Amino acid sequence: MSDYNLSLFYLLIYSTTVVILVAGMIILSYLLGGRHREPATGEPYESGILSTGSARLRFSAQFYVIAMFFVIFDLETVFLVSWAISVRETGWGGFAVILVFLAFLLSVLVYEWRIGAFDYAVSGREILKSIRKAKGI
Amino acid sequence: MTLVELHEMIPLLILGGAVVPLLLTVSFYRNLKLTVALTVLIFIAAFTSLFFAPKPVRTDGSLLSMDGYALFYIGLFLAASLVVALLSYGYVRERKDDCQEFYILLILATLGASVLAAANSFIPLFLGLEILSVSLYVLISYLRGFTRCIEAGVKYLILAAASSAFLLFGIALFYAECGTMDFKGISEILQIQGMPTPLLYAAFGLLFVGFGFKLAIVPFHMWTPDVYEGAPSPVTAYIATVSKGAVFSLLVRFFFIMGAHQYKKLLFLFSAIAVASMFTGNLLALRQENVKRVLAYSSIAHLGYLLVAFIAGGDLAVEAAAFYLVSYFITTLAAFGVVAALSGGERDADSIEDYRGLFWQRPWLAAALTAALLSLAGIPLTAGFLAKYYLVAAGMKARLWALVIILIINSAISIYYYLRIVAVMYAEPDAGQNAGRTAFSSSPAAGVALCVMTLLLVWIGVYPQTLITIINAVINYAYPF
Amino acid sequence: MILVLLIVILIAGGVLAWLLGRWSAMAARIVSLLALAADFVLILFLWVSTYERLNCAGQSWISEFYLPWIPQFGINFHLAMDGLSLVMAGLVAFIGLAAILCSWSEIRERAGFFHFNLLWNLAGIMGVFLAVDLFLFYFFWELMLVPMYLLIGIWGHENRNYAAMKFFIFTQASGLFMFIAILGLYFINARNTGFYTFDYLNLLQTALEPAEARLLAAGFLIAFMVKLPAVPFHNWLPDAHTEAPTAGSVILAGLLLKTGAYGILRFVIPLFPQASLDFRYIGMSIGVVGIIYGAKLAFAQADLKRLVAYTSVSHMGFVMVGSFAANELALQGAVMQMVCHAVSTGALFILAGALQERLHTREIGTMGGYWRDAPRMGGVALFFALASTGLPGLGNFVAEFLVLAGAYRVNLPITVLASLGLVFSAVYGLWIIQSIFHGGGETPAKVGDLSLREMSLLGAMMAVILWLGLFPQPMLNTVKASLEAIREQTGLTQVGSEHLREANSYPHFTRSCPPKPAGQDVPMSRSTGGTRATPEGGLRLPANQPIGFLRRQ
Repeated sequence: MSDYNLSLFYLLIYSTTVVILVAGMIILSYLLGGRHREPATGEPYESGILSTGSARLRFSAQFYVIAMFFVIFDLETVFLVSWAISVRETGWGGFAVILVFLAFLLSVLVYEWRIGAFDYAVSGREILKSIRKAKGI
Repeated sequence: MTLVELHEMIPLLILGGAVVPLLLTVSFYRNLKLTVALTVLIFIAAFTSLFFAPKPVRTDGSLLSMDGYALFYIGLFLAASLVVALLSYGYVRERKDDCQEFYILLILATLGASVLAAANSFIPLFLGLEILSVSLYVLISYLRGFTRCIEAGVKYLILAAASSAFLLFGIALFYAECGTMDFKGISEILQIQGMPTPLLYAAFGLLFVGFGFKLAIVPFHMWTPDVYEGAPSPVTAYIATVSKGAVFSLLVRFFFIMGAHQYKKLLFLFSAIAVASMFTGNLLALRQENVKRVLAYSSIAHLGYLLVAFIAGGDLAVEAAAFYLVSYFITTLAAFGVVAALSGGERDADSIEDYRGLFWQRPWLAAALTAALLSLAGIPLTAGFLAKYYLVAAGMKARLWALVIILIINSAISIYYYLRIVAVMYAEPDAGQNAGRTAFSSSPAAGVALCVMTLLLVWIGVYPQTLITIINAVINYAYPF
Repeated sequence: MILVLLIVILIAGGVLAWLLGRWSAMAARIVSLLALAADFVLILFLWVSTYERLNCAGQSWISEFYLPWIPQFGINFHLAMDGLSLVMAGLVAFIGLAAILCSWSEIRERAGFFHFNLLWNLAGIMGVFLAVDLFLFYFFWELMLVPMYLLIGIWGHENRNYAAMKFFIFTQASGLFMFIAILGLYFINARNTGFYTFDYLNLLQTALEPAEARLLAAGFLIAFMVKLPAVPFHNWLPDAHTEAPTAGSVILAGLLLKTGAYGILRFVIPLFPQASLDFRYIGMSIGVVGIIYGAKLAFAQADLKRLVAYTSVSHMGFVMVGSFAANELALQGAVMQMVCHAVSTGALFILAGALQERLHTREIGTMGGYWRDAPRMGGVALFFALASTGLPGLGNFVAEFLVLAGAYRVNLPITVLASLGLVFSAVYGLWIIQSIFHGGGETPAKVGDLSLREMSLLGAMMAVILWLGLFPQPMLNTVKASLEAIREQTGLTQVGSEHLREANSYPHFTRSCPPKPAGQDVPMSRSTGGTRATPEGGLRLPANQPIGFLRRQ
């Protein structure tokens, strides 16, 4: 068997293994998993007490905003650290680049501040304004 | 990085650098007119800088090669983005307050597209693709108030992310096999190997899944009609033109550097995809009642046509693809421009019935749309005719008889659905139909852009020599492959 | 220069008519009329000033215009005119005038745009007849479709959208096959000579493998046979003719069908002489089938315009037979038939339009006895019905007779069958007159007679038919040289003259041409292009050799 066919053969084995593995997982869980359908099957278990309300909670959109900020600024530190450990090798060029990077981040921060992304609580002024609008004052 | 390299990259630096001041301007001084004016200025500045680009030095292993080929496509993308910016001014303003960010995203997307056109290695390829895609996710679902926009955005997000994963896997296989990300480097290794290993075939295939998704060619076309329909019309125009054009320009560069035309299996795969795209696009378009969906399916077919030139290979093919893309850009922008201009604040004018009798009420808009549709159908006096001539000529030169015949058959099928829209436009208007149309408020910017597009459409159709000369001069300025 | 002018006048006139039409319908009509009249005068002037030259066999183009268009591909804006295109161009102007005059009162809505489309369509047709660059030819070929589509689609009758769409798709799709064939020829020529050009004269010299030639010829033929229309492809024609407004029908029957016939004469036969000889009997048979089938269907129609449309199929069959018989007489007959059919069928459509304008119906069954109210109309209709049946003394007779006489030399059975067409046409021709103008009808409606405008228009058409019937020689002289050149390409010249002894039957042909110095035996050569292969000594066949040789072997 030539090299070429051999590697083709490996690829074939690899892909069949992947398919079999995935198919096996799905089929096995289908075969082995318990299945029953009674009146209470779909309901959440509340120690015998009938549940009230939906099991789905709505989080405030602010929550996601904070989560995203965390990711963004966390990544920032990744870049900063990687620059910091090679600060001597990269020299002034690296310094200039990281300054540009920070400037970008800073301007984004300014932008976010201006569009009110950091106003976590609803501002009283906004509430008053909407009330006034509603009353037509 | 030397100064020369910096000099070369000025168009990209202008795009990338200008976004930040624009962002700061927007955060302190929200004024749509100013933002649009600045955006237009940025595009014009970047476009002008193309003319001062230095003669590129061929440095192997550079990430970006700003050769004539790249400069040509960057120029094309900048011009198209400029038109989209003008078209969207009235459209977005009517639907959303504070829509300045739209333009920032537009510039970013264009930056991504430009990087793609110049990419010389997998790293800028992926970088550019992601800049483009991420901007597009937001642009597509930009009008949050409209559920269809959100739907389109989510669909695009999920499928684009999946296709990016395929692309990455393909890149990883290339790297595993060749140990380099550089196109030139990979092609050298391919030369040595003689015949690609199965792993490399798999890598080509996976890569093509990623490209195919962006190009919306047949097995990967499912998202197209929904996204076209749901996205704001100017954004649809942008996806149809810049996004596809960028990926196609990259595809041509990549496969030419790889010398992929010697691999018959790949060519066979492309031929099958081209045929499937042509037939699927045209046949499915026949029964659509929604103009944007018709255009979506027609774009699938058009990419199939374009693949014929791609498969043909050779100098004529590069030229044909460039010519075709230019004329397709102009045509598509004109078509979606009319759709955008007609759309009232509530919904887009995308049902065919919205166009009944348009010619008798708004003759200029109807004339522009007629010209665009005829150009898509490839009727003389429009750019589309010569573009199709170019494709057929490229195909015939490479003796791809079957593909050319199929192209011809498809272009005959396609006439039906283009003409159907034309017929409706010239039919008697219904009484009381004006009601919906009076809501429309056109901005002079969009009017000027549409007018220019239509004139270009006819001009290229009548006297293409200028464009051909430009294409030859610029692409041969530093012929990359 | 004058050739560009012919096209530019129409294009500019169209735009002007559109702009003025927004202000006044009458202005649009007058502008279009003036534009076409200017064209007509120009062509007459050309004809008169070059008539002497046209009479000499083997003359070059009588007028030419050359401008590089897309030099990279060897595409040039190259127009040229010889006798054949002169006749066709004159026909465009004449039928165009008729079309405008006959829609004078029919089109009231959106007259400006109507005339814009009309003139642009005519400009496209004019371009088709004048272009000698194959790319340009295809350009014009496609260009004429859109205005015609709009003419049918906007101002047509009840089922207009269907008819317009069918017309467009049929002609466009078939045109694309021709496009492939053109490109095939282009690349084969480039492969042979290393010189990319679409120029007719250069492509004439392309050496082709027989199989290639047959495929390419088939590509051209599909387009031309759809336009002609030859029988399996005639499907679009009755719908388009019936639903089109009168002017549209007149142009369709008078000019659009002729582009197909012209294409066969100008391109298929000279470019692919051997292939067209191979196709000879198939082509003639298709023509005969068209003659008989068209006549039969015509007789079965209840709709007047549909009837006339099917007679077109029948009459164009003669053109097909004549073109493929390809000897002197048959080709002359084919050209003659093109002109006569254009005028007589155009007139019949005008009459049908006039009737419809008055009665708002085209149903023959509801008509009858109109001679009483409209004797002038009846008389004119009788004249054209008789012309259509081929009454001696009228142009159509000369045409059909020439075709049959020519075809007789080639194949007897086909000729016999074709001559049946004359009988059938008498049947439906007289039937039209009988059922519309004679008889009582149940309660014949009052019909206004022809107005002065209609009368003078139809009078001019009658004069043309009479002229062609009684003194066809000027027309035959005009096209003689071009047809000679076509036949020279096929290598049939010697055989034809042997059979027909044309010098005896047509003394005009040999008169007063300046004697040509030796070595100047290269007809229609152009300085920018190459020269065409002359029939070499080796090809001059003995007189009794069978037909079917090619200039290259």
